[in-house]
Amino acid sequence: MTVPQPTPEEIKERATIDRSTRYPVMFFFTSAAAWLLAATILGFLSSVKLRVPGLWDECQFMGYGRLFPAHLNALVYGWAMQAGIGVMLWLMARLTRTPLRQTVAVLVTGHIWNAAVALAVCTVWFGFGKSIPLLDFPTWVWPILAIAYALTVMWVIPMFRTRREGLPYISEMFVVGAVLWFPWIFVTANILINKGTAPVMGAGLNAWFISNLSYFWMAPVSLAVAYYIIPKISGRPIFSYPLAHASFWLLAFLAGWTGFSRYMGGPFPAWMSAISGSASIFILLAILATVVNLMISLKGCSKLWRYSPSLRFTVFGMLMLAIYAILSAASSTYFFGKNLQFSHFMVGLDTLAFYGFFSMTIFGAIYFIVPRITGSEWPSGGRIRNHFWFSAYGIITLVITMLVGGIAQGGDLAVWDRAFSVSFVNSSAYVVGRATAWALIGYSNLLFLCQLYQMFVGKGRKSEGPTLLHSEPGKAASAKAAAEMS
Amino acid sequence: MKFDRFAKLIAGLSLAFALPWIFLVMVPFITGSNLKALPYPEGQEVDGGVTAYPDKALYQHGSSDYGRQLYAAEGCAYCHTQVIRPTYAGADMWRKGWGGREEDGFARETQARDYLQEEIAPLGYQRIGPDLSNVGHRITDRDLMHRHLSDPTSIDRDSGMPAFLHLYEKSPDGSKLVPNKKAEALVDYLLSLKKDQPLPSKG
Repeated sequence: MTVPQPTPEEIKERATIDRSTRYPVMFFFTSAAAWLLAATILGFLSSVKLRVPGLWDECQFMGYGRLFPAHLNALVYGWAMQAGIGVMLWLMARLTRTPLRQTVAVLVTGHIWNAAVALAVCTVWFGFGKSIPLLDFPTWVWPILAIAYALTVMWVIPMFRTRREGLPYISEMFVVGAVLWFPWIFVTANILINKGTAPVMGAGLNAWFISNLSYFWMAPVSLAVAYYIIPKISGRPIFSYPLAHASFWLLAFLAGWTGFSRYMGGPFPAWMSAISGSASIFILLAILATVVNLMISLKGCSKLWRYSPSLRFTVFGMLMLAIYAILSAASSTYFFGKNLQFSHFMVGLDTLAFYGFFSMTIFGAIYFIVPRITGSEWPSGGRIRNHFWFSAYGIITLVITMLVGGIAQGGDLAVWDRAFSVSFVNSSAYVVGRATAWALIGYSNLLFLCQLYQMFVGKGRKSEGPTLLHSEPGKAASAKAAAEMS
Repeated sequence: MKFDRFAKLIAGLSLAFALPWIFLVMVPFITGSNLKALPYPEGQEVDGGVTAYPDKALYQHGSSDYGRQLYAAEGCAYCHTQVIRPTYAGADMWRKGWGGREEDGFARETQARDYLQEEIAPLGYQRIGPDLSNVGHRITDRDLMHRHLSDPTSIDRDSGMPAFLHLYEKSPDGSKLVPNKKAEALVDYLLSLKKDQPLPSKG
């Protein structure tokens, strides 16, 4: 079964829709990529500081307790959410066949979002933080972020409602879900934590927020991308559409229950971490069903993996999503979790969500979208290849070293009469792996930012065909033969 | 017709989220907000003539309120936890001094009421450094606590703690470090950290 080919009118209409999103979406992508570079540098510096505690002791801005939260904020609000918003806007315009009309409004709110992220990162870095991961900016910053987000993504709703065709596609449902859920978890967590009347719930809600951000925002956005990119590039439909629907609703009904298992054994009623743990295990079913469904749709298309940058990044992201779901389910049981809790593993797990599955899938979307909205092709396939491999090696290094380092650290802590510093000394070698990973990722993102900037200023390759990772063998051989002939 | 489908989707998505929002977030939050100190029953004798658990006065120590803000601002909770897990969830209570007074061999897990003097309980993100729930029992000497902050490797060669030199100034002759107001507040807060107040006996 093949997908019907578009008519010339449809191609023209698509181009109009793509052009309507050009400026806002490119704005979100380029500023997100700049934040990503900042976040990787902060991540590298914080890992170095963790390995060599005595470094930069005189400078208050170079403490781990300030660099690391600044890194997390820049990574999530600066890069991940911003790139995600750009992808959501474009995807919705394409899928509902509605041009984005509020270009100026979106650009204005986009600037406000960036200013708020800068405030969040700087206040935490300059010592006004609250030591609660991802919500540690001063109380007055969160309303700006919430309002800027709402004013940017609300245009998705009228697009969805004016759509012309029958049933909404699964990607649209994921985007609408992400639009609706994020403000809800963000506002709830911020209001209740800052109220300060239930101190222990403040910490619990923070864990709930981090887990919900992954499962209720990052997973839906990246799945929306995967359900779009994979059929589009392979030219095949989703293997089982009913299964896609079922796993969507399974994820929707379970994601909100996760999170409290991060503090299992903590000062909460035992049912809370138990229910979170079971939700994480059931979510594994939804995620594995989704990923398997997507992979089966690609059966027989393994050649495309070699050539298409979008497909390669998206498929890698989906595999990482499966690994994330497995690790987060495992760590929410007492059997694995009691040694992994509070260890390096938790950093590895969070980074796997933010960079592993979310960012890699979003890169796939960006490689697909940008040529279409700017009307030129990526400058160099070789650099895309480098971006992929350095990012992939980086994130795999980070996750493996943090997993093994976490097991080592947790194991040392579990032996009650072993001196505490043993756990620090034994695990610090793995922190070198974390620093190396951020250096690799940093280099790959420098390449990415340079390419994106070239596309932004209109210096992309003008060509009929897309930029592929490798030139196709048939064409390369004939070009070589032609060169030899002349 | 179009509106119906949209409304149905939104209703489904909202329902999916509303269930955990009510039962996992709002109800425990309201219950947590209504936590009150428990009086000790008659016949239970507690040191220092304390009449209720928790007694907030026990956790006030000089400028510890300012110190609490600094603890958060310096990101201490990214490396230090303040949570003692029960024995089925980890070996915390067996570690010397972690679960309570070292000399008595007393230890218990932390409970929700132990954090009532805080606004947000600093349960912590990682354990790069030791748990601080009861550090006020382990380190009672003020100067020693200052040394832990300003020159930790002089106490333990393998320590992973950085020196917080920006909280200290050099004395005029340059021979020793003089703590500033922030360092004093942070030390006040650390000395106040005790989460082992006896629980009221039942019945």
